[in-house]
Amino acid sequence: MIEIDNVTKFFREGFFGIRKNAVENLSLLIEKGKVTGFFGPNGAGKSTTIKMIVGLIRPSSGVIKVNGYDSGDFRSRIGLGYLPENPSFPRGLKGIEIINYYGKLLNVKVAKNEIHEALKISGIFYAKDTYTHKYSKGMTQRLALAISILGNPEILIFDEPLSGLDPVGRKEFKDIIYKLKDKGKTIFFSSHILADSKELCDKISLLVKGKLIKNSSLADIEKEAEENKPVQAEYSTPLEEYLYDLMLRNKTEN
Amino acid sequence: MKNILYTILYSFKEIKNSKIFYFFLIFALILISGSYFVSQISFINEGRIMVDFSIFSITIFNVFIGIFIGSSVIYDDIEKKSIFLSITRPVKRVDYLLGRVFGLAVAVVFSTIIMMIIFYGVLLLMHKFVIPARPGAHFSILLLPQPVIIQAVFIIVESVFISAVSILFSLITSKALASILSILIFFIGNTSSKMNALVRPVRGIINGKLQIIHRPNHVLAAIVHFIYAVLPNFSVFNVSTQAAYKVFLSGRMISNAIVYGISYIVVILIIASLIFLRKDLS
Ligand SMILES: Nc1ncnc2c1ncn2[C@@H]1O[C@H](COP(=O)(O)OP(=O)(O)O)[C@@H](O)[C@H]1O
Ligand SMILES: [Mg+2]
Repeated sequence: MIEIDNVTKFFREGFFGIRKNAVENLSLLIEKGKVTGFFGPNGAGKSTTIKMIVGLIRPSSGVIKVNGYDSGDFRSRIGLGYLPENPSFPRGLKGIEIINYYGKLLNVKVAKNEIHEALKISGIFYAKDTYTHKYSKGMTQRLALAISILGNPEILIFDEPLSGLDPVGRKEFKDIIYKLKDKGKTIFFSSHILADSKELCDKISLLVKGKLIKNSSLADIEKEAEENKPVQAEYSTPLEEYLYDLMLRNKTEN
Repeated sequence: MKNILYTILYSFKEIKNSKIFYFFLIFALILISGSYFVSQISFINEGRIMVDFSIFSITIFNVFIGIFIGSSVIYDDIEKKSIFLSITRPVKRVDYLLGRVFGLAVAVVFSTIIMMIIFYGVLLLMHKFVIPARPGAHFSILLLPQPVIIQAVFIIVESVFISAVSILFSLITSKALASILSILIFFIGNTSSKMNALVRPVRGIINGKLQIIHRPNHVLAAIVHFIYAVLPNFSVFNVSTQAAYKVFLSGRMISNAIVYGISYIVVILIIASLIFLRKDLS
Protein backbone atom coordinates (compact mmCIF):
# COMPACT_ATOMS: atom_id res chain seq x y z
CA MET A 1 0.00 0.00 0.00
CA ILE A 2 1.14 3.51 -0.79
CA GLU A 3 -0.03 6.47 1.27
CA ILE A 4 0.47 9.94 -0.14
CA ASP A 5 -0.38 12.49 2.51
CA ASN A 6 -0.78 16.14 1.59
CA VAL A 7 2.27 16.26 -0.63
CA THR A 8 3.45 19.37 -2.41
CA LYS A 9 6.46 19.53 -4.69
CA PHE A 10 7.77 22.73 -6.15
CA PHE A 11 10.67 23.33 -8.48
CA ARG A 12 12.53 26.58 -8.72
CA GLU A 13 12.45 28.13 -12.12
CA GLY A 14 14.41 30.74 -13.95
CA PHE A 15 17.12 33.10 -12.80
CA PHE A 16 15.30 34.22 -9.68
CA GLY A 17 14.35 30.71 -8.65
CA ILE A 18 10.65 31.36 -8.54
CA ARG A 19 8.69 28.51 -7.01
CA LYS A 20 6.40 26.60 -9.27
CA ASN A 21 4.25 23.83 -7.87
CA ALA A 22 4.41 20.65 -9.91
CA VAL A 23 2.20 18.80 -7.41
CA GLU A 24 -0.05 20.54 -4.94
CA ASN A 25 -1.53 19.21 -1.70
CA LEU A 26 -1.89 15.75 -3.11
CA SER A 27 -3.39 13.05 -0.90
CA LEU A 28 -3.92 9.66 -2.41
CA LEU A 29 -4.19 6.12 -1.20
CA ILE A 30 -2.99 3.47 -3.61
CA GLU A 31 -4.71 0.31 -2.52
CA LYS A 32 -3.18 -3.10 -2.28
CA GLY A 33 -4.02 -5.56 -5.04
CA LYS A 34 -5.67 -3.02 -7.28
CA VAL A 35 -4.79 -1.39 -10.57
CA THR A 36 -4.91 2.37 -10.35
CA GLY A 37 -4.70 4.43 -13.50
CA PHE A 38 -3.10 7.81 -13.01
CA PHE A 39 -4.25 10.12 -15.76
CA GLY A 40 -3.64 13.68 -16.72
CA PRO A 41 -2.36 15.83 -19.55
CA ASN A 42 1.34 16.36 -20.19
CA GLY A 43 2.93 18.39 -17.45
CA ALA A 44 0.22 17.55 -14.94
CA GLY A 45 2.74 16.25 -12.42
CA LYS A 46 2.27 12.52 -12.89
CA SER A 47 5.95 11.71 -13.30
CA THR A 48 6.83 14.04 -10.45
CA THR A 49 4.42 12.17 -8.17
CA ILE A 50 5.80 8.82 -9.26
CA LYS A 51 9.39 9.95 -8.74
CA MET A 52 8.49 10.98 -5.21
CA ILE A 53 6.94 7.59 -4.54
CA VAL A 54 10.05 5.73 -5.67
CA GLY A 55 12.38 8.08 -3.80
CA LEU A 56 14.09 9.80 -6.71
CA ILE A 57 12.94 13.20 -5.51
CA ARG A 58 11.71 14.27 -2.11
CA PRO A 59 8.47 16.09 -1.44
CA SER A 60 8.79 19.77 -0.56
CA SER A 61 6.20 19.08 2.11
CA GLY A 62 4.00 16.17 3.12
CA VAL A 63 4.78 12.51 3.56
CA ILE A 64 4.76 9.47 1.31
CA LYS A 65 4.82 6.00 2.82
CA VAL A 66 5.33 2.79 0.93
CA ASN A 67 4.62 -0.35 2.93
CA GLY A 68 4.94 1.76 6.05
CA TYR A 69 8.38 3.16 5.23
CA ASP A 70 9.08 6.75 4.26
CA SER A 71 9.79 6.98 0.54
CA GLY A 72 13.25 8.36 1.32
CA ASP A 73 14.17 5.15 3.15
CA PHE A 74 15.69 2.46 0.92
CA ARG A 75 13.54 -0.18 2.68
CA SER A 76 10.43 1.36 1.11
CA ARG A 77 11.69 -0.04 -2.18
CA ILE A 78 11.80 -3.66 -1.06
CA GLY A 79 9.26 -5.43 -3.23
CA LEU A 80 8.74 -2.44 -5.47
CA GLY A 81 9.29 -2.45 -9.23
CA TYR A 82 9.50 0.77 -11.18
CA LEU A 83 9.37 1.35 -14.90
CA PRO A 84 10.49 4.92 -15.62
CA GLU A 85 9.19 7.14 -18.37
CA ASN A 86 11.52 6.85 -21.38
CA PRO A 87 14.02 4.52 -19.72
CA SER A 88 17.60 4.35 -20.94
CA PHE A 89 20.77 2.42 -20.20
CA PRO A 90 24.49 3.14 -20.24
CA ARG A 91 26.40 2.54 -23.43
CA GLY A 92 28.70 -0.36 -23.94
CA LEU A 93 26.81 -3.04 -22.05
CA LYS A 94 24.63 -5.89 -23.23
CA GLY A 95 21.03 -6.35 -22.15
CA ILE A 96 21.87 -9.41 -20.10
CA GLU A 97 24.76 -7.67 -18.30
CA ILE A 98 22.47 -4.81 -17.37
CA ILE A 99 19.63 -6.94 -16.08
CA ASN A 100 22.08 -9.10 -14.14
CA TYR A 101 23.36 -6.04 -12.34
CA TYR A 102 19.90 -4.74 -11.47
CA GLY A 103 18.97 -8.23 -10.29
CA LYS A 104 21.94 -8.20 -7.94
CA LEU A 105 20.73 -5.00 -6.31
CA LEU A 106 17.56 -6.65 -5.05
CA ASN A 107 17.20 -7.82 -1.49
CA VAL A 108 16.29 -11.30 -2.76
CA LYS A 109 18.50 -13.61 -4.75
CA VAL A 110 17.38 -13.85 -8.35
CA ALA A 111 18.24 -17.06 -10.18
CA LYS A 112 19.39 -17.09 -13.78
CA ASN A 113 16.22 -18.74 -15.01
CA GLU A 114 14.13 -16.05 -13.29
CA ILE A 115 16.05 -13.43 -15.22
CA HIS A 116 15.45 -15.33 -18.45
CA GLU A 117 11.80 -15.68 -17.51
CA ALA A 118 11.43 -11.92 -16.99
CA LEU A 119 13.13 -11.27 -20.32
CA LYS A 120 10.78 -13.71 -22.03
CA ILE A 121 7.67 -12.21 -20.45
CA SER A 122 8.75 -8.79 -21.65
CA GLY A 123 9.55 -10.11 -25.10
CA ILE A 124 13.20 -9.06 -25.19
CA PHE A 125 14.89 -12.40 -24.51
CA TYR A 126 15.98 -12.68 -28.15
CA ALA A 127 18.06 -9.47 -27.86
CA LYS A 128 19.68 -10.17 -24.50
CA ASP A 129 23.17 -10.38 -26.00
CA THR A 130 22.84 -7.18 -27.98
CA TYR A 131 24.36 -3.91 -26.76
CA THR A 132 21.58 -1.74 -25.41
CA HIS A 133 22.65 1.37 -27.31
CA LYS A 134 21.59 -0.54 -30.39
CA TYR A 135 18.10 -1.12 -28.98
CA SER A 136 15.05 0.65 -30.39
CA LYS A 137 12.83 2.65 -28.06
CA GLY A 138 10.39 -0.25 -27.77
CA MET A 139 13.18 -2.72 -27.00
CA THR A 140 14.58 -0.43 -24.30
CA GLN A 141 11.11 -0.17 -22.82
CA ARG A 142 10.86 -3.95 -22.77
CA LEU A 143 14.20 -4.41 -21.05
CA ALA A 144 13.20 -1.85 -18.44
CA LEU A 145 9.94 -3.73 -17.92
CA ALA A 146 11.85 -6.97 -17.45
CA ILE A 147 14.03 -5.26 -14.85
CA SER A 148 11.02 -3.84 -13.03
CA ILE A 149 9.33 -7.22 -12.64
CA LEU A 150 12.49 -9.00 -11.46
CA GLY A 151 12.27 -10.54 -8.03
CA ASN A 152 8.47 -10.74 -8.22
CA PRO A 153 7.69 -7.39 -6.54
CA GLU A 154 4.31 -6.81 -4.90
CA ILE A 155 4.01 -3.20 -6.01
CA LEU A 156 4.55 -2.12 -9.60
CA ILE A 157 4.80 1.48 -10.66
CA PHE A 158 4.77 2.16 -14.36
CA ASP A 159 5.28 5.65 -15.73
CA GLU A 160 3.71 5.89 -19.19
CA PRO A 161 4.28 2.19 -19.86
CA LEU A 162 2.60 2.29 -23.25
CA SER A 163 4.24 5.35 -24.73
CA GLY A 164 6.77 4.69 -27.41
CA LEU A 165 5.27 1.33 -28.31
CA ASP A 166 3.63 0.28 -31.55
CA PRO A 167 0.04 -1.09 -31.46
CA VAL A 168 1.29 -4.66 -31.14
CA GLY A 169 3.61 -3.68 -28.32
CA ARG A 170 0.84 -1.82 -26.56
CA LYS A 171 -1.36 -4.87 -26.71
CA GLU A 172 1.43 -7.06 -25.35
CA PHE A 173 2.20 -4.64 -22.53
CA LYS A 174 -1.44 -4.47 -21.60
CA ASP A 175 -1.61 -8.26 -21.52
CA ILE A 176 1.39 -8.32 -19.21
CA ILE A 177 -0.30 -5.83 -16.90
CA TYR A 178 -3.44 -7.99 -16.94
CA LYS A 179 -1.42 -11.01 -15.93
CA LEU A 180 0.24 -9.09 -13.12
CA LYS A 181 -3.18 -7.93 -12.02
CA ASP A 182 -4.41 -11.54 -11.94
CA LYS A 183 -1.52 -12.36 -9.66
CA GLY A 184 -2.87 -9.79 -7.22
CA LYS A 185 -0.15 -7.19 -7.65
CA THR A 186 -0.65 -3.58 -6.69
CA ILE A 187 -0.24 -1.61 -9.88
CA PHE A 188 -0.04 2.13 -10.29
CA PHE A 189 0.47 3.35 -13.83
CA SER A 190 0.35 6.76 -15.42
CA SER A 191 -0.85 7.71 -18.84
CA HIS A 192 -1.88 10.75 -20.78
CA ILE A 193 -3.82 8.61 -23.20
CA LEU A 194 -7.38 8.10 -22.09
CA ALA A 195 -7.95 5.11 -24.33
CA ASP A 196 -5.74 3.08 -22.01
CA SER A 197 -7.98 3.70 -19.09
CA LYS A 198 -10.98 1.52 -19.22
CA GLU A 199 -9.67 -1.96 -19.78
CA LEU A 200 -6.97 -2.04 -17.16
CA CYS A 201 -8.07 -0.04 -14.17
CA ASP A 202 -9.97 -0.78 -10.99
CA LYS A 203 -9.53 2.82 -9.97
CA ILE A 204 -8.89 6.05 -11.76
CA SER A 205 -7.09 9.12 -10.45
CA LEU A 206 -7.06 12.26 -12.49
CA LEU A 207 -4.38 14.87 -12.00
CA VAL A 208 -4.48 18.24 -13.70
CA LYS A 209 -1.99 21.02 -13.04
CA GLY A 210 -0.66 19.22 -10.01
CA LYS A 211 -4.05 18.87 -8.36
CA LEU A 212 -6.06 15.73 -7.88
CA ILE A 213 -9.38 16.25 -9.66
CA LYS A 214 -10.90 12.80 -9.41
CA ASN A 215 -10.13 9.66 -7.51
CA SER A 216 -12.71 6.94 -7.59
CA SER A 217 -13.46 3.45 -8.76
CA LEU A 218 -13.97 2.79 -12.43
CA ALA A 219 -17.63 1.91 -11.87
CA ASP A 220 -18.36 5.14 -10.04
CA ILE A 221 -16.62 7.32 -12.53
CA GLU A 222 -18.35 5.60 -15.41
CA LYS A 223 -21.70 6.27 -13.82
CA GLU A 224 -20.75 9.90 -13.35
CA ALA A 225 -19.71 10.05 -16.98
CA GLU A 226 -23.10 8.79 -18.13
CA GLU A 227 -24.82 11.47 -16.09
CA ASN A 228 -22.63 14.36 -17.25
CA LYS A 229 -22.38 13.57 -20.92
CA PRO A 230 -20.31 16.34 -22.41
CA VAL A 231 -20.56 16.97 -26.13
CA GLN A 232 -17.26 16.06 -27.68
CA ALA A 233 -16.74 14.25 -30.91
CA GLU A 234 -13.14 13.16 -30.54
CA TYR A 235 -13.60 10.33 -28.08
CA SER A 236 -15.63 7.24 -28.54
CA THR A 237 -16.93 6.36 -25.10
CA PRO A 238 -18.67 8.53 -22.56
CA LEU A 239 -15.92 7.81 -20.04
CA GLU A 240 -13.21 9.09 -22.31
CA GLU A 241 -15.23 12.12 -23.19
CA TYR A 242 -15.94 12.85 -19.58
CA LEU A 243 -12.31 12.56 -18.56
CA TYR A 244 -11.26 14.67 -21.49
CA ASP A 245 -13.78 17.29 -20.53
CA LEU A 246 -12.60 17.31 -16.94
CA MET A 247 -9.05 17.88 -18.08
CA LEU A 248 -10.09 20.64 -20.41
CA ARG A 249 -12.14 22.48 -17.86
CA ASN A 250 -9.56 22.32 -15.13
CA LYS A 251 -6.82 23.38 -17.47
CA THR A 252 -8.58 26.58 -18.45
CA GLU A 253 -10.27 27.42 -15.16
CA ASN A 254 -7.36 28.61 -13.03
CA MET B 1 28.36 -3.85 1.16
CA LYS B 2 27.13 -6.33 -1.44
CA ASN B 3 25.50 -3.50 -3.38
CA ILE B 4 28.70 -1.46 -3.34
CA LEU B 5 30.64 -4.41 -4.72
CA TYR B 6 28.23 -5.11 -7.53
CA THR B 7 28.10 -1.43 -8.42
CA ILE B 8 31.90 -1.32 -8.52
CA LEU B 9 31.98 -4.28 -10.90
CA TYR B 10 29.24 -2.85 -13.07
CA SER B 11 30.83 0.60 -13.22
CA PHE B 12 34.21 -0.86 -14.05
CA LYS B 13 32.68 -2.87 -16.89
CA GLU B 14 30.90 0.20 -18.16
CA ILE B 15 34.05 2.35 -18.03
CA LYS B 16 36.24 -0.36 -19.50
CA ASN B 17 33.92 -0.49 -22.52
CA SER B 18 33.75 3.26 -22.97
CA LYS B 19 35.46 5.01 -25.85
CA ILE B 20 37.01 7.77 -23.80
CA PHE B 21 38.80 5.25 -21.56
CA TYR B 22 40.29 3.46 -24.55
CA PHE B 23 41.23 6.72 -26.14
CA PHE B 24 43.28 7.84 -23.15
CA LEU B 25 44.75 4.42 -22.54
CA ILE B 26 45.86 3.93 -26.14
CA PHE B 27 47.18 7.46 -26.40
CA ALA B 28 49.28 6.94 -23.28
CA LEU B 29 50.61 3.65 -24.62
CA ILE B 30 51.62 5.34 -27.88
CA LEU B 31 53.44 8.06 -25.96
CA ILE B 32 55.21 5.56 -23.70
CA SER B 33 56.42 3.49 -26.63
CA GLY B 34 57.22 6.71 -28.48
CA SER B 35 59.44 7.82 -25.64
CA TYR B 36 61.81 5.10 -26.77
CA PHE B 37 62.44 7.06 -29.96
CA VAL B 38 62.62 10.36 -28.13
CA SER B 39 65.34 8.96 -25.93
CA GLN B 40 67.22 7.69 -28.98
CA ILE B 41 67.69 11.16 -30.39
CA SER B 42 68.45 12.79 -27.06
CA PHE B 43 72.07 13.01 -25.95
CA ILE B 44 71.28 13.01 -22.25
CA ASN B 45 71.23 9.66 -20.52
CA GLU B 46 68.51 7.82 -22.42
CA GLY B 47 66.98 6.05 -19.48
CA ARG B 48 66.32 9.22 -17.58
CA ILE B 49 64.52 11.04 -20.40
CA MET B 50 62.50 7.96 -21.04
CA VAL B 51 61.47 7.68 -17.38
CA ASP B 52 60.61 11.35 -17.07
CA PHE B 53 58.57 11.36 -20.23
CA SER B 54 56.74 8.13 -19.48
CA ILE B 55 55.88 9.07 -15.91
CA PHE B 56 54.52 12.34 -17.18
CA SER B 57 52.37 10.51 -19.75
CA ILE B 58 51.09 7.97 -17.26
CA THR B 59 50.25 10.71 -14.75
CA ILE B 60 48.49 13.02 -17.14
CA PHE B 61 46.41 10.34 -18.82
CA ASN B 62 45.28 8.76 -15.59
CA VAL B 63 44.42 12.19 -14.27
CA PHE B 64 42.45 12.82 -17.47
CA ILE B 65 40.64 9.51 -17.07
CA GLY B 66 39.82 10.53 -13.51
CA ILE B 67 38.61 13.98 -14.48
CA PHE B 68 36.67 13.23 -17.64
CA ILE B 69 35.11 9.97 -16.56
CA GLY B 70 34.63 11.28 -13.03
CA SER B 71 32.65 14.25 -14.27
CA SER B 72 30.35 12.00 -16.27
CA VAL B 73 30.11 8.73 -14.36
CA ILE B 74 27.25 9.94 -12.17
CA TYR B 75 26.27 13.02 -14.17
CA ASP B 76 25.47 11.05 -17.32
CA ASP B 77 23.75 8.37 -15.29
CA ILE B 78 21.38 11.06 -14.03
CA GLU B 79 21.16 12.92 -17.34
CA LYS B 80 20.37 9.79 -19.32
CA LYS B 81 18.07 8.64 -16.51
CA SER B 82 19.74 5.24 -16.31
CA ILE B 83 20.16 5.96 -12.60
CA PHE B 84 16.37 5.73 -12.23
CA LEU B 85 16.49 1.97 -12.36
CA SER B 86 19.41 1.39 -10.02
CA ILE B 87 18.62 3.83 -7.28
CA THR B 88 14.97 2.74 -7.06
CA ARG B 89 16.04 -0.72 -5.99
CA PRO B 90 16.44 -1.26 -2.25
CA VAL B 91 19.85 0.41 -2.38
CA LYS B 92 21.20 3.18 -0.22
CA ARG B 93 22.25 6.22 -2.19
CA VAL B 94 25.61 6.26 -0.49
CA ASP B 95 26.23 2.67 -1.59
CA TYR B 96 25.54 3.65 -5.17
CA LEU B 97 27.83 6.67 -4.93
CA LEU B 98 30.69 4.70 -3.39
CA GLY B 99 30.21 1.96 -5.96
CA ARG B 100 30.55 4.45 -8.78
CA VAL B 101 33.61 6.15 -7.24
CA PHE B 102 35.43 2.91 -6.54
CA GLY B 103 34.42 1.49 -9.91
CA LEU B 104 36.29 4.39 -11.44
CA ALA B 105 39.15 3.83 -9.00
CA VAL B 106 39.40 0.22 -10.18
CA ALA B 107 39.53 1.49 -13.77
CA VAL B 108 42.36 3.84 -12.81
CA VAL B 109 44.29 1.02 -11.14
CA PHE B 110 43.69 -1.12 -14.20
CA SER B 111 44.94 1.51 -16.64
CA THR B 112 47.95 2.39 -14.48
CA ILE B 113 48.96 -1.24 -14.32
CA ILE B 114 48.68 -1.65 -18.07
CA MET B 115 50.68 1.51 -18.71
CA MET B 116 53.34 0.42 -16.22
CA ILE B 117 53.63 -2.97 -17.85
CA ILE B 118 54.21 -1.39 -21.26
CA PHE B 119 56.65 1.07 -19.70
CA TYR B 120 58.50 -1.80 -18.05
CA GLY B 121 58.51 -3.68 -21.36
CA VAL B 122 60.05 -0.76 -23.20
CA LEU B 123 62.73 -0.39 -20.52
CA LEU B 124 63.51 -4.11 -20.70
CA LEU B 125 63.77 -3.82 -24.45
CA MET B 126 66.25 -0.97 -24.14
CA HIS B 127 67.97 -2.72 -21.27
CA LYS B 128 68.13 0.62 -19.55
CA PHE B 129 67.24 1.77 -16.12
CA VAL B 130 65.96 -1.57 -14.87
CA ILE B 131 68.00 -3.12 -12.08
CA PRO B 132 68.73 -6.80 -11.43
CA ALA B 133 66.89 -8.31 -8.48
CA ARG B 134 70.07 -10.17 -7.47
CA PRO B 135 73.00 -7.95 -8.36
CA GLY B 136 76.08 -9.84 -9.39
CA ALA B 137 74.27 -13.01 -10.26
CA HIS B 138 74.62 -14.35 -13.76
CA PHE B 139 70.91 -14.52 -14.51
CA SER B 140 68.53 -12.31 -12.67
CA ILE B 141 65.12 -10.78 -13.21
CA LEU B 142 65.35 -7.12 -14.03
CA LEU B 143 63.13 -4.95 -11.86
CA LEU B 144 61.97 -1.37 -11.83
CA PRO B 145 63.68 0.76 -9.18
CA GLN B 146 61.71 1.40 -5.99
CA PRO B 147 60.87 5.08 -6.65
CA VAL B 148 59.30 4.19 -10.00
CA ILE B 149 56.98 1.67 -8.39
CA ILE B 150 56.10 4.15 -5.65
CA GLN B 151 55.45 6.76 -8.31
CA ALA B 152 52.91 4.39 -9.88
CA VAL B 153 51.15 4.02 -6.53
CA PHE B 154 51.14 7.80 -6.11
CA ILE B 155 49.66 8.22 -9.59
CA ILE B 156 46.79 5.96 -8.56
CA VAL B 157 46.17 7.91 -5.34
CA GLU B 158 46.39 11.20 -7.19
CA SER B 159 44.03 10.09 -9.97
CA VAL B 160 41.45 8.71 -7.54
CA PHE B 161 41.77 11.96 -5.61
CA ILE B 162 41.05 14.07 -8.69
CA SER B 163 38.25 11.66 -9.71
CA ALA B 164 36.56 12.30 -6.38
CA VAL B 165 36.96 16.04 -6.88
CA SER B 166 35.47 15.77 -10.34
CA ILE B 167 32.55 13.63 -9.15
CA LEU B 168 31.86 16.13 -6.36
CA PHE B 169 31.79 19.03 -8.83
CA SER B 170 29.59 17.08 -11.24
CA LEU B 171 26.97 16.80 -8.49
CA ILE B 172 26.67 20.57 -8.16
CA THR B 173 27.49 21.92 -11.61
CA SER B 174 27.44 20.77 -15.20
CA LYS B 175 29.70 18.13 -16.66
CA ALA B 176 31.79 20.63 -18.62
CA LEU B 177 32.23 22.96 -15.69
CA ALA B 178 33.10 20.05 -13.42
CA SER B 179 35.88 19.01 -15.81
CA ILE B 180 37.23 22.53 -16.14
CA LEU B 181 37.20 23.15 -12.39
CA SER B 182 38.92 19.83 -11.74
CA ILE B 183 41.63 20.59 -14.28
CA LEU B 184 42.13 23.99 -12.65
CA ILE B 185 42.40 22.40 -9.21
CA PHE B 186 44.87 19.90 -10.56
CA PHE B 187 47.14 22.50 -12.12
CA ILE B 188 46.93 24.88 -9.19
CA GLY B 189 47.52 21.95 -6.85
CA ASN B 190 50.63 21.04 -8.80
CA THR B 191 52.12 24.49 -8.79
CA SER B 192 50.86 25.98 -5.54
CA SER B 193 53.87 24.89 -3.51
CA LYS B 194 56.25 26.50 -6.00
CA MET B 195 54.14 29.64 -6.15
CA ASN B 196 54.04 29.75 -2.40
CA ALA B 197 57.80 29.63 -2.25
CA LEU B 198 58.03 32.42 -4.82
CA VAL B 199 55.99 34.92 -2.86
CA ARG B 200 57.96 34.48 0.35
CA PRO B 201 60.04 37.48 1.34
CA VAL B 202 63.55 37.21 -0.06
CA ARG B 203 66.20 37.37 2.64
CA GLY B 204 69.81 38.08 2.24
CA ILE B 205 72.81 38.97 4.35
CA ILE B 206 73.60 42.64 4.22
CA ASN B 207 76.40 44.00 6.35
CA GLY B 208 76.60 40.73 8.21
CA LYS B 209 72.90 40.78 9.17
CA LEU B 210 70.03 38.71 7.82
CA GLN B 211 67.65 41.16 6.24
CA ILE B 212 64.65 41.12 3.97
CA ILE B 213 65.80 42.28 0.58
CA HIS B 214 62.55 42.10 -1.29
CA ARG B 215 58.98 41.71 -0.14
CA PRO B 216 56.39 40.77 -2.77
CA ASN B 217 53.04 42.52 -2.95
CA HIS B 218 51.05 41.78 0.24
CA VAL B 219 47.77 41.05 -1.47
CA LEU B 220 49.34 38.73 -3.99
CA ALA B 221 51.25 36.91 -1.27
CA ALA B 222 48.11 36.54 0.84
CA ILE B 223 46.16 35.11 -2.09
CA VAL B 224 48.86 32.61 -2.95
CA HIS B 225 49.28 31.56 0.69
CA PHE B 226 45.54 31.11 0.94
CA ILE B 227 45.35 28.98 -2.19
CA TYR B 228 48.29 26.94 -0.96
CA ALA B 229 46.63 26.35 2.37
CA VAL B 230 43.14 25.55 1.11
CA LEU B 231 43.58 23.63 -2.12
CA PRO B 232 45.13 20.19 -2.21
CA ASN B 233 48.83 20.03 -2.89
CA PHE B 234 49.36 17.55 -5.69
CA SER B 235 53.10 18.01 -5.87
CA VAL B 236 53.53 15.57 -2.96
CA PHE B 237 52.58 12.82 -5.41
CA ASN B 238 55.20 13.80 -7.93
CA VAL B 239 58.42 11.89 -7.34
CA SER B 240 59.49 11.68 -10.97
CA THR B 241 62.82 13.37 -10.25
CA GLN B 242 63.62 10.84 -7.56
CA ALA B 243 62.48 8.12 -9.94
CA ALA B 244 64.68 9.38 -12.76
CA TYR B 245 67.72 9.39 -10.45
CA LYS B 246 66.74 6.17 -8.68
CA VAL B 247 66.67 7.88 -5.29
CA PHE B 248 65.29 5.51 -2.68
CA LEU B 249 62.15 6.90 -1.02
CA SER B 250 61.75 6.56 2.72
CA GLY B 251 58.78 4.71 4.17
CA ARG B 252 57.86 7.82 6.09
CA MET B 253 57.68 9.96 2.98
CA ILE B 254 55.59 7.34 1.20
CA SER B 255 53.10 6.85 4.00
CA ASN B 256 52.79 10.60 4.55
CA ALA B 257 51.79 11.15 0.94
CA ILE B 258 49.36 8.25 0.92
CA VAL B 259 47.72 9.25 4.20
CA TYR B 260 47.48 12.83 2.92
CA GLY B 261 45.75 11.65 -0.27
CA ILE B 262 43.39 9.23 1.42
CA SER B 263 42.30 11.73 4.08
CA TYR B 264 41.44 14.24 1.39
CA ILE B 265 39.54 11.58 -0.58
CA VAL B 266 37.53 10.61 2.51
CA VAL B 267 36.59 14.22 3.22
CA ILE B 268 35.56 14.80 -0.40
CA LEU B 269 33.47 11.63 -0.43
CA ILE B 270 31.69 12.62 2.77
CA ILE B 271 30.78 16.00 1.27
CA ALA B 272 29.71 14.34 -1.99
CA SER B 273 27.52 11.85 -0.08
CA LEU B 274 25.80 14.63 1.86
CA ILE B 275 25.04 16.46 -1.37
CA PHE B 276 23.95 13.34 -3.20
CA LEU B 277 21.61 12.27 -0.39
CA ARG B 278 19.64 15.49 -0.76
CA LYS B 279 19.75 15.69 -4.52
CA ASP B 280 16.58 15.49 -6.57
CA LEU B 281 17.16 13.06 -9.41
CA SER B 282 14.93 14.14 -12.23
N1 LIG C 1 13.44 18.78 -12.53
C1 LIG C 1 12.50 19.70 -12.79
N2 LIG C 1 12.81 21.01 -12.71
C2 LIG C 1 11.89 21.96 -12.96
N3 LIG C 1 10.62 21.71 -13.30
C3 LIG C 1 10.25 20.42 -13.41
C4 LIG C 1 11.17 19.35 -13.17
N4 LIG C 1 10.52 18.17 -13.36
C5 LIG C 1 9.25 18.50 -13.69
N5 LIG C 1 9.07 19.83 -13.73
C6 LIG C 1 7.82 20.53 -14.05
O1 LIG C 1 6.79 19.98 -13.28
C7 LIG C 1 5.60 19.87 -14.03
C8 LIG C 1 5.11 18.45 -14.03
O2 LIG C 1 5.95 17.64 -14.80
P1 LIG C 1 5.76 16.07 -14.91
O3 LIG C 1 5.58 15.51 -13.56
O4 LIG C 1 6.88 15.52 -15.72
O5 LIG C 1 4.41 15.96 -15.74
P2 LIG C 1 3.74 14.68 -16.41
O6 LIG C 1 4.53 13.48 -16.09
O7 LIG C 1 2.36 14.63 -15.84
O8 LIG C 1 3.69 14.95 -17.88
C9 LIG C 1 5.93 20.38 -15.43
O9 LIG C 1 5.48 21.72 -15.50
C10 LIG C 1 7.41 20.33 -15.49
O10 LIG C 1 7.91 21.35 -16.31
MG1 LIG D 1 5.46 12.20 -17.34
